Amino acid sequence: MQIDIKETNGVAVCNIKNDVDINSSPDVKKYFEQLTREKKEKILISFGAVNYVDSSGLATLVEVLKMMRSYGGKLKLSGLSDKVRGLFEITKLDKLFDIYLTEADALNSF
Amino acid sequence: MKERTQVEIENNSHLLKEVSKELINSLKEQGVSEEVIFDVHVGFEEALRNAMIHGNKSRPDKKVRIEIEITVEEVIIVVEDEGEGFDPSGLPDPTVGENLLKESGRGVYLIKHLMDYVKYENGGRKVTMKKRI
Repeated sequence: MQIDIKETNGVAVCNIKNDVDINSSPDVKKYFEQLTREKKEKILISFGAVNYVDSSGLATLVEVLKMMRSYGGKLKLSGLSDKVRGLFEITKLDKLFDIYLTEADALNSF
Repeated sequence: MKERTQVEIENNSHLLKEVSKELINSLKEQGVSEEVIFDVHVGFEEALRNAMIHGNKSRPDKKVRIEIEITVEEVIIVVEDEGEGFDPSGLPDPTVGENLLKESGRGVYLIKHLMDYVKYENGGRKVTMKKRI
C-alpha cells in the first residue's frame, strides 16, 4: 500500500496510489486510524491514481468517515474515475461523502 | 470463439486476485471494453469474497469452485462455496437509512447492479452471473 500525504492550507491531502480492495483495505484502514487518532480536522483523499475499489474498500472509507465525524472532522474525496464514482452512486454513498471532481475543487470547499 | 475454465481454489485473498487477473486478461484479449471489464471485475471478486469469507468462513479446509465461460456475446461466471448457504433475499438494503453507515452488506448489492443476470442456487452456496460483452 502506498499513500502520499501533504499538508495544503491546513488540509491533510492523502493521495492513494493503489487499488483499495480486499488486500489493501486493512492497511488503508490502519493508516487513517492513525490520522484520526491525531484528530486531523480536515482530510482530503485523492483517488486520482486509484483504478479499482471493492466493497471492502467502500467499507473502509465509511469507517474513516465515522471516525472523523466522532470528533467533528471533515472528510472529502476527489479525483474518482467514472467507474469508481459509479460504485459510490450505486451504493448511494455519494450522498454520504463530499465528492469533488478535482483536488483543487475539494480544497476550496473546506 | 468460446473459452471455458473450471478451477477450484482455497480460501485465500491472493488466489482470489490471481484468478481475477486471469479473467480480466482473457477479457482484454477478446477486446472487451474497459467499462464492462470493470463491472465483471467487481462482480467476480465480490462473489469470490462472499464465498470465501461469508460462505466458507475463511476455513482453510473449504474450497471455492469457479466456472468461467466466455462466448462471443457474454461472460458466464459460476462461484460455489462449501458453506452453510444464505438467503440473498433476506439481506438488508445497504442504501437505506442507517444501513448506509454500516460496514458490510454491499457485496451482493453491487453484484446485482453490475451484472446483467444473477441467480443464487443450492441454498445460496452457488451464484451464477452473466454479463454481456
